[in-house]
Amino acid sequence: MMGLSTLSEWTGRIGELVIGASHAEGGTRSHVVRIGGERDLPYIGTHPSGHKPLVAYELADDPSLWPAAATRYIGDWVHDTADWAAYAEKEYTPDLIRLHLTSTRHRGFSDTSRIGTTIESVLQATRLPLIVEGSDDPAMDSAVYQKIGEAAEGERILLGTAEAGRYRSVAAAAMAYGHSVIAQSPIDINLAKQLNILLRETGLPSDRIAIDPYTGALGYGFEYSYSVMERIRYSALKGDTDLAMPMISSATDSLTVKEVREAQGSEAEKTAVAWELYSMLPATIAGASIVCVRHPLSIAGLKSAIDSLWNGENVEGV
Amino acid sequence: MISVEKAAHAGKESLKSRMAAIGGSFSYEETAYHLPVTFALTGNAVNSAEEAQKAYNASAENPLVAGECLQAFQAARNGKESPPYTGFIPDAVLRTLGYSLVDGSILGLVLVAGSPPAPDTAAGLCRELQEKYMLTFLSGDIIQSLTSSGVKVGAEYRLVPLGSRPSSAIHFIDIIARVAMMFGGVTPGDAGRLLAYAKERAKAIVIVFPGLNDEEIALIDAFCLLGIPVIAAGDYDGDQWIRVQPADAVRTGMELKGIKVSVTAIPIPMACSPAFEGKSIRKEEMQVEFGGGRSPAFELLRVRPAGEVEDGKVTVIGPEIDAIPQGSAAPLGIIIEVAGKQMKKEYEPVLERRIHNFVNYGEGSWHVAQRDLIWVRLSQEAVAKGVRIRDLGTLLAAKFRMDFPDLLDAVQVTLITDEKTALAERTKAGKIYQERDDRILGMRDTDVDTFYSCTLCQTFAPNHVCIITPERPALCGAISWLDGKIAFEIAPAGANQPVEKGKIIDMDRGEFEGVNRFVKKASHGEVDRCSLYSIMEYPMTCCGCFECIALTLPEVNGFMVVNREYKGLTPSGMSFSTLAGTIGGGAQTPGFAGISKSYILSDRFLQAEGGIERLVWMPAILMQELKGRLVENLRKKGVESLIDKIADETKAGTIEELASFLVSVDHPVLAMKPLF
Repeated sequence: MMGLSTLSEWTGRIGELVIGASHAEGGTRSHVVRIGGERDLPYIGTHPSGHKPLVAYELADDPSLWPAAATRYIGDWVHDTADWAAYAEKEYTPDLIRLHLTSTRHRGFSDTSRIGTTIESVLQATRLPLIVEGSDDPAMDSAVYQKIGEAAEGERILLGTAEAGRYRSVAAAAMAYGHSVIAQSPIDINLAKQLNILLRETGLPSDRIAIDPYTGALGYGFEYSYSVMERIRYSALKGDTDLAMPMISSATDSLTVKEVREAQGSEAEKTAVAWELYSMLPATIAGASIVCVRHPLSIAGLKSAIDSLWNGENVEGV
Repeated sequence: MISVEKAAHAGKESLKSRMAAIGGSFSYEETAYHLPVTFALTGNAVNSAEEAQKAYNASAENPLVAGECLQAFQAARNGKESPPYTGFIPDAVLRTLGYSLVDGSILGLVLVAGSPPAPDTAAGLCRELQEKYMLTFLSGDIIQSLTSSGVKVGAEYRLVPLGSRPSSAIHFIDIIARVAMMFGGVTPGDAGRLLAYAKERAKAIVIVFPGLNDEEIALIDAFCLLGIPVIAAGDYDGDQWIRVQPADAVRTGMELKGIKVSVTAIPIPMACSPAFEGKSIRKEEMQVEFGGGRSPAFELLRVRPAGEVEDGKVTVIGPEIDAIPQGSAAPLGIIIEVAGKQMKKEYEPVLERRIHNFVNYGEGSWHVAQRDLIWVRLSQEAVAKGVRIRDLGTLLAAKFRMDFPDLLDAVQVTLITDEKTALAERTKAGKIYQERDDRILGMRDTDVDTFYSCTLCQTFAPNHVCIITPERPALCGAISWLDGKIAFEIAPAGANQPVEKGKIIDMDRGEFEGVNRFVKKASHGEVDRCSLYSIMEYPMTCCGCFECIALTLPEVNGFMVVNREYKGLTPSGMSFSTLAGTIGGGAQTPGFAGISKSYILSDRFLQAEGGIERLVWMPAILMQELKGRLVENLRKKGVESLIDKIADETKAGTIEELASFLVSVDHPVLAMKPLF
């Protein structure tokens, strides 16, 4: 059975972004991933355009600042970030690892050298391409991003997160050490575009930017995110090059919503996975190239759902 | 006095003969960019004297290439100079430096070369550079001079000692060349790109003290080609060298390269944030008030030459707060003088309008209205915490610099509380207000080649594009053509973009090729054509912010206009809010237009369909607001009697009543050609 056919004569094309660097390219990744490249909406046609959406598994260097619904299932692995990453790669086979440096969120944090060690150990423990999230405090951005950039030099990581008020350190680290940048805007197409322009003005090439339009949890604003992602994608396909970057979406708040927090017993894991799955699958339909989850069991379901949409399976019954 | 031209000429000859005398192989270590300046300029990777000679010839005997080759040759022969001198800086160190530049933790690069007249001069200069977040490189005797007066040098102090001779200044350029290749995407050998990068992006300046020999003068003089200003704090006389007193060197250099230190905290005993903007100060809470009809008050912002404005200076003429009785009304003149290379006279009113916001940002200060109608209050609470009238000046000076960093280099504020002075200055200000009004009023769409767009509302009306012209302000009434122009200058990537008018398609309807092209793109392909002066054919789209809605009333062959404040029904049978719901959201709706109040007063007001003479109805509240200016306009057109022929809700509430009213007053629409 054929997939859906295109809705419009698009003129634009989404740029391609590469994450990870192989041995030949000076890095140590077993493979590199490419995202973007679409000429049409996601899942359209027998051979959809561009690259298939990927699933990233999110973990944190300080698990005490990570949702209980995510750490509970993983258990003791969370106490060593590198072990956690290696275990997740082997057991749950995500396409990428996204490391959140939650340790930087403690009041008075100053141990940037430990960030460097953490990143180096995670890079050794897993061969998957890496996304790294730095501090969320402008006062320490400069030191933190420089350390991340340096520790991951040569590995072509995706570095987050740049925002309108604080993008310079992230951009500087990306430019100095050859990484790419996640540009996050608060569910607003114009701010997304403006940030991309600001980043370009620092000298960062547009093929090293991924747009994060910010994703609300299902039932807690997801529809706004979905709509903005669609509009960003329409604009890009209609020829707006300032928005023609691949998008990344994370179910950031899904594991802390009331329904997930309060689910008991056997329902607890099921609810957590359902919340992530039903936020992130629609995100790929709205145009996200990378979707991120925190519950390990969400990975397999999400990957298989993406595969079936990508291959045009099950369309007959729809 | 040393002639730079003569010295540089001799220096070039001397460099040339020394270049011819070198031999053997040499190169820099720990870099992927060979001899970076030579590599960037010529594309040649130099590892030996022959290659150096070749590159030198290829560069048309550029002193920078000679200086670099000779420097590398000497370093290879004699070894690096011993610490504290750094000599050539490796790539790894440079990467962190590039990081700090992009990151904004350093604002720019300065080279200081030569022998300062006194150790104090050098120390003062370097302290100023440190305070202004500049990374300073030092070449020559200045380093000795600094260390002897106890100033610590080293990268951690942002004072990098390159070498004992001023010839080490070439390392300053090899740093810029590598930053250009690492961060600026400049390809080796593309000299044009390198020069453009250095000119436009590199925030670099050079300060030269006496003591340079001919070769060194030739070298430094070649920096000018890269757009790096050479500030001479010594007896040098050259066309491109800027002579200053040592005390002015840093300021001059930073101004020339447009490097600005941003203000972060305002030193006043009162919080200052947009969060307080909506907070009013009631009579009982007030310590003192100014203006509001109870005392003379006015505000004025003027652009002045840079030399006449001292940044941050606040002057109070007249009594301070403690000499003014509580609860009374005192005179107040707010005079803000600004300077900036890009600041223009025509921006004055736009910036002046911001006084209103800024004063309201203060937790205990309040401001309404504008020009000589202002009304300002300070609260008792604020005064009890130590706020003085002077603090308003500090607040204004700081906020203007913070919000317009690219436009303003310096802001000084004078506050006048002395009645006699205030009155005299108010009279002068009145003349300036009048001049401004004449200038704005006089502006015609035909006088300009560029309009401005506004896509601020695309957050909720994704395909809506406002086109703002001198005679048609944005439909929200908040942005005039001048505002659009200044907004673009302040934020070139923002929501107000220049729109080239292009060829006229139809002057009557106000359709232009350039405008159509822009609207098509900015509306994401949804809108192909846009008439600026027509309501029937391709009218402009609306977001939802329009001050008024104009619509055609086919039954009476005219237009009506209803403003947002009018809550009742109109002769169309609909209220403002019902109408707004049908025309907003970025759609083109022939027969309807979202407009600003002042567009009604414009000569271009829906001129394609007959303009103001087709206006048959507007609410009394709107007529009251516009009447004075409208009567004036109609008088100029010779149709003064029209004013009484425009109905309002008291004269006609329904379309039938309107029709009979129009007949009873013999409204001109009765004789106009049908709209449909």
